[in-house]
Amino acid sequence: MLLGQFHEIMPRLQQLEKLVVSQLESELSHQDIALSGIEHRIKTEDSYIGKLERKGQKYQSISDITDLVGVRIITFYTDDVDKVAAIVKGLFNVDWKNSVDKRKRQELTSFGYNSLHYICNLREGEFSDISFEVQMRTTLQHVWSAIEHDIGYKGTVRLPPEYRRQFSRLAGMLELADDEFSRLRTTMNKFRRHIHALVESGRLDEVPLNSDTFRSFLEMKPFDKLNQRIAAVNQAEIYPASLLPFRHVLESFQLETLGDVDALIRDYSDDAYQLALAQFAITDLDIVSEYIGLQNLCFVYVLKNGGGRTGIKAIYDILYGPQEGNADLADLIVQQASQLPFYQQNT
Amino acid sequence: MKITIEKKDNAITVIIAGRLDTSTSVQAEKEFQTLYNTEAEEIIFDCSELEYVSSSGLRLFLSVLKLSRSEGKHVFFSKMNDYLKEVFTMTGFTSLFEFK
Repeated sequence: MLLGQFHEIMPRLQQLEKLVVSQLESELSHQDIALSGIEHRIKTEDSYIGKLERKGQKYQSISDITDLVGVRIITFYTDDVDKVAAIVKGLFNVDWKNSVDKRKRQELTSFGYNSLHYICNLREGEFSDISFEVQMRTTLQHVWSAIEHDIGYKGTVRLPPEYRRQFSRLAGMLELADDEFSRLRTTMNKFRRHIHALVESGRLDEVPLNSDTFRSFLEMKPFDKLNQRIAAVNQAEIYPASLLPFRHVLESFQLETLGDVDALIRDYSDDAYQLALAQFAITDLDIVSEYIGLQNLCFVYVLKNGGGRTGIKAIYDILYGPQEGNADLADLIVQQASQLPFYQQNT
Repeated sequence: MKITIEKKDNAITVIIAGRLDTSTSVQAEKEFQTLYNTEAEEIIFDCSELEYVSSSGLRLFLSVLKLSRSEGKHVFFSKMNDYLKEVFTMTGFTSLFEFK
């Protein structure tokens, strides 16, 4: 009879599954919580029959089975599990009597099953009478659970103590790694806030040049003044572009701090403008890329520091990868610069 | 100006002959509509016969780049003469496009 009810209820289970997943995905995205994944399933007939065989006497009707629809939310960090739990509590009615926090278990090898399991119902609507289960766990817990299942740790054969000890050690190591990932994320976020504060206060000599700090630096629009000066030559439009790839070029110049980059702008802007002027003044081009200022700064830096054609080609190799045409582009730049005072004074 | 569009395997090659300036860019934009909503993975602008490109031409290439990227396509320029290389370099657009 319970099997018959299972088949009858199937269309409603499918609708419920869609609704639950849709609400979860929408709210999790809105709250900007990065997830490793969301899995969901309707219990298969075989699994349902297996459950009835093992625990059938517990169930009077199909509504007593609370995990016909199951959703598993897999986070990257342990502290995100609690954030996800708060979201689930906000979205659905939680059956606290039947919900379990398996993280509070004390077994030495319980790492993989340290999930949070909530039994829930929709707050309203035609499917609010059907319970569903939401499991929340970290990626490492999920991987452990899968491996444990594959090895058959919970199989009918009881493993000897030395194998159980190995499982225990691995479980402990993964639990430690989970905690350390969370701690590392907190530390990294603090470091980023600190760097951001230094950049905003102008203490650029204290900030090492790397991808995070360069990104923060670019938010200050440090190349805008030079770009606008160049664009004014032909009343040009400045086409937006990401300047992040130039970090590798700046690092190749042995620039170590944002203070060094700021000095590059201060010391080479005039000559970079002269190079652009020599290129643009004889054309009618009225659109330039946002690259233009930083690009010309880099060219001038190389030429004034004896890098020559090889140094200019190296810039193109870094930006676009070694290509045949890079040498031709370098020749063009050297040719354009050769008429300018800064080049003649340095060669 | 003459535009020839050739489709082969996963690529569309666009051969532009002549000048791509303000007036011819209007005609070119209409012809470039066939580049979108196709299964091609690459669009290759063959510049061997392109004599001149104005800002309008550059803007047209940028709009092709933007629309193609949204469809997951790569846009390449090939057989650029020295003049075209100079235009792309001085405007900083060498960094935005790919070359073959």
